[in-house]
Amino acid sequence: MEIAPQEGSGATVSPNPLDDVLIRLVADFAEDGSFGHRTLEVTKENVRVLEIGDAPSFVIPISDIKTARNEPLVGGGRLEVVAKTGEILPILSYSLTLAAKFSEAARGIEQLAKGEPLLINMKVERVRCAKCNRLLPEKDGVCPACVNRSKTMMRIGQYLYPYRKQAWLLALMSLVTTLLNLCPPLIQGKLIDTVLKNHRELNTLWILMTCWLGVLMVNATLQILSGRLIAFLAGNIAADLRSSVYRAIEFLQLTFFDKKQVGAIASRVTQDTDRVWGFLVEGVPYLLLNGLMFLGITIFLFYTNVILAACILSPIPFVLGIGAFFWRPMSQMFHRVGQKWARFHMHLNESLSGIRVVKAFAKEDLEFGKFRGRNNELRDAGMAADGRWYTIFGAMTFFTSLGTLINWTVGGYMVYSNQMTLGGFWKVSALLGLLYGPLQWFAAVNQWFSRAMAGAERIFEVMDTESEKYGSKEIHHDIVGEVEFNNVRFGYDKSNPVLKGITFTAKPGEMIGLVGKSGAGKSTTINLICRFYEPDAGFMRIDGIDYRDIALQDMRGQIGIVLQEPFLFNGTIAENIRYGKPSASFDEVLEAAKAANAHNFVLSKPDGYDTMVGERGSKLSGGERQRISIARAILHNPRILILDEATSSVDVETEKQIQEAIGRLIQGRTTFAIAHRLSTLRNASRLVVLDKGEIAEIGTHAELMEKKGVFFKLVEAQSAINEIIGVGTGG
Amino acid sequence: MTATEQNPKTYRLFHSPKDRLRLTVDDDRSYVTVKPTWAAPLSYPKLYLSLLNGKGEEIVTIVEPEKDLTQTSYEAVQIEIAKRYLTATVGSILSAKGEFGSTYWHVESNRGERDFVTQSLQENAQWLSPTHLLLIDVDGNRFEIPDTTLLDPRSRGILESIL
Repeated sequence: MEIAPQEGSGATVSPNPLDDVLIRLVADFAEDGSFGHRTLEVTKENVRVLEIGDAPSFVIPISDIKTARNEPLVGGGRLEVVAKTGEILPILSYSLTLAAKFSEAARGIEQLAKGEPLLINMKVERVRCAKCNRLLPEKDGVCPACVNRSKTMMRIGQYLYPYRKQAWLLALMSLVTTLLNLCPPLIQGKLIDTVLKNHRELNTLWILMTCWLGVLMVNATLQILSGRLIAFLAGNIAADLRSSVYRAIEFLQLTFFDKKQVGAIASRVTQDTDRVWGFLVEGVPYLLLNGLMFLGITIFLFYTNVILAACILSPIPFVLGIGAFFWRPMSQMFHRVGQKWARFHMHLNESLSGIRVVKAFAKEDLEFGKFRGRNNELRDAGMAADGRWYTIFGAMTFFTSLGTLINWTVGGYMVYSNQMTLGGFWKVSALLGLLYGPLQWFAAVNQWFSRAMAGAERIFEVMDTESEKYGSKEIHHDIVGEVEFNNVRFGYDKSNPVLKGITFTAKPGEMIGLVGKSGAGKSTTINLICRFYEPDAGFMRIDGIDYRDIALQDMRGQIGIVLQEPFLFNGTIAENIRYGKPSASFDEVLEAAKAANAHNFVLSKPDGYDTMVGERGSKLSGGERQRISIARAILHNPRILILDEATSSVDVETEKQIQEAIGRLIQGRTTFAIAHRLSTLRNASRLVVLDKGEIAEIGTHAELMEKKGVFFKLVEAQSAINEIIGVGTGG
Repeated sequence: MTATEQNPKTYRLFHSPKDRLRLTVDDDRSYVTVKPTWAAPLSYPKLYLSLLNGKGEEIVTIVEPEKDLTQTSYEAVQIEIAKRYLTATVGSILSAKGEFGSTYWHVESNRGERDFVTQSLQENAQWLSPTHLLLIDVDGNRFEIPDTTLLDPRSRGILESIL
C-alpha cells in the first residue's frame, strides 16, 4: 500500500497515521448530485462519509459490513456496502475520473470486513500541471502547454543527425542562393547608372549581362541541387519518423488501442509525421533563407538611404500586426476545416465499406443524404475559412503595396531632386519585392511551427507511452504447460471488475473448457493468459514462474491462438500458414495444412498454396479461413493453445472437419477452449464454469452433469433453446 | 408484463427502505429493487422509461412516464434517475481553449461549474443531431449540450471557434 499526500479532489491513503484513518478519498459529487466534495474515510472500526466542515453524514461499523461494491452509473459510479443484514447501503457517488480509486476503496473495505490485511494501491496521481495548474490530459502525464519547445525541437533535430552532412550542405546552398538573389537588383542598378543613363560604356553592358547570366546559371544549378537534397532528406527523415512511430505503436499495451480509434492511431504515422518532416525539411530552410534575406535587405536599404529605407519599411509593422492578430482565429478555422474533412472521410469510408448493406436495404438515398450533409458542412467550413483568409490576405497586400507606393513617392522625389541616382532607386525597388514577398508568410510560420510541434508531441506521446513490459527479469523459459491463476482480479474499467478472484491450475497437456454466460469473463481469462492485459491483483504463474518475469516475446512465441473470426493477412495461403514460423519449409506447410484438414480445399484453388487470400482473408469462406488459422497454429507449435469459439461460425460438415483438426492440434498442449456449444467441450479434461467473474464450478463434463449445478442448468437451457429453434424452424 | 398490458397509473413506485426504489403493481405484487433507466436517454430524453429488477431484467417500459405515472411515483423515479445519470448538462461555456491537440473547457452546468479536458474532438465531440452535442472528457465523463442554438451568444461563439 502506498502512502502519499493528498492533491486536489484526488485520493490519499492514511494522511495521518495517528488518526487511524486507513483510506481517505474525496469524491467529486455532493449529496444533492452537484459537483462538490464529500470525503470517504475508512478506519479499522468504521466507514464514514464527511460533508464539508467534516460533519459525518454516514457511519457504518466495519463489523456490520459483509461486502463492498461499486455500482456502475452513467458517467460515474456509486460506492455501496452490503450490510450483514443483506441491506444494500449506498455511500457516495463519484465521476469516472475517480472510478479506479473508489474501486480500490471498495476492495479495501471488503478486505477489512473479512479481517484480511489492507492491500490496495491508492497511489496519488497528478491531475493538474504543477507549473501552470492546467488540467492534465492524462493523469501523471505531460502538460502540453508546458512542454519545453526547445527540447522538442532538439528531439526532432535528432532525426537530422544521420544526414547532418547533407543538412549542412543544404544550409550552405541556401545561404549562397540568398546572396545570389540579391545580385540581379545590384546589377540592374549598376547598369542604369553606368550604361543606360549616360548612353556609353557598352562593354560594361556585355560584362554585366555575362555576370547576370553566370548568377542565373549558378542559381539554377544550386536550386536543382537543393531540390534534390530536400527530396533526399524529406524521404529519409519521413521514413525514419514513420518507422520509429510504427515500431513504438507495435509495442504499446492493448489498453492504448482500447482508448483510441485505429484511424486516429494511423494518423500519427501518416499526418503527424508529415507535419514534422515538412517543417524540418521545408520550414526550417524557408525560415532561415527568408530570415537572412530580410536581415540582409534591411541592412542594405539603410546603407543605401536611411530616410527612404525608414519610409518604405514603415508599413511592415502593420503587415506583421495583421498576421499576428488574425493567425490564431484563422488557424482555428483551418483546424475546423480539417475536422470536417475527417468527418467527411469517415462517412465516405464507412458507406463504401458497407456498400453491400446499403444496396441490400436500398438505402442509397439515405446514405446520399448523410453524404450531402457532411459535404455541405465541409463546403461551409471551407468557404468561411477561405473567405476570411482572402480578406486578411487582401489587407496584407494593401500594406505591402503601400510600401511600393511610398518607395515611388519618396524615392521618386529623391531622384527628381538629385538626392539619389536612378540606379540606386531601381536597386531599392527591386529589393523591395524580395522583402515584402516572404514577409506576408512570416506570420504563417508561427502556425506552421505550432502544427509541427503539436504533431511532434503526438508522436513523442506514442513513443513515450509505456510499452508492454517485456519482462523485467527477461527469463527465457521453455514452457512445459502448467498455468496457474491465483486470486486473479481484473477489470477493463477499474470500477467494474470482470474477474473477481479466479483461482485454478491447468496441468500440462490438459484441455480446460471455459464455460459461462456471455459476460462471465471467459474471453477476459484468455486475454490474461496471452498477457494482453495483466491482473490488477493476484498473480499468474506458468510452470511456477510469475509470468510477468518471463520475456514477453518468448512467452507469446509459445502460445497459439485460434479465434472465432480468424484474421488472415493479405498474402498467399502459404504465407499465412507460415506466419508464426517464417522459416518453415514447404513440406512443413503441407503437413500443417493436412493436419488442419485444409489441404484438399487449398488444392482445389487454381493457384493452390499461392492463392491470394485478399484483405483479411475475404476471398476465402469462414470455414476455410478457420482451417488456415488452425494450420498456422499447428506450424507455430505452441505449448499453450487457445481456442476461442473456433467452430461457432461454420456449417456442420465444416465443423466436423475443424473438430478433427483441433483434435490433432491439442495433442500434448495445454489448451484453453471457449465454445458456445457446450457439447463440443465434452472431451475437455476439466471445465471451469465462470459466473459473474467468479468460478462457480470446476470438474469434468460428467462430474458437472452429475452435480446438477450451474453447468447442468446451462446445458439444460441450451438443449431447451435448441429444441425451440428446431421446432420454430420446422426442424 | 409489457406497457400495453397494464395501466401505469396502477404502478406505485416508492422508496422502501429510503435508498431502495420499490414497485408495487395493483397492490398485488411487488418488486423490491427497481432500477429506472432511459431506453434512449439521448434521442428520447424523457420518454421510454424502463424499470429493471434487481437482476437487471426489464419489468416494464413506460412510454411517457411523466404523463402515465402518478405524480408521487414519477417523483420517486426522478430521485432515482438523478442518482443514476451523472451526466452534466451544459448551460454555458465560460471558456474553451485548444492547445496541442487538447481542448480545455470551463463550463457552467446543471451540476455547477466544471473544468475538463477533451482530446481528439473528432471522436470526443459527438453531434447527436445538428444541434445536440455530447462532449466526452479524457476520463469518459459526459457533458451534454441538448441544443447549441439555445446557448448564449458568447458560448455559441466559443463553440463555433473550437468545433
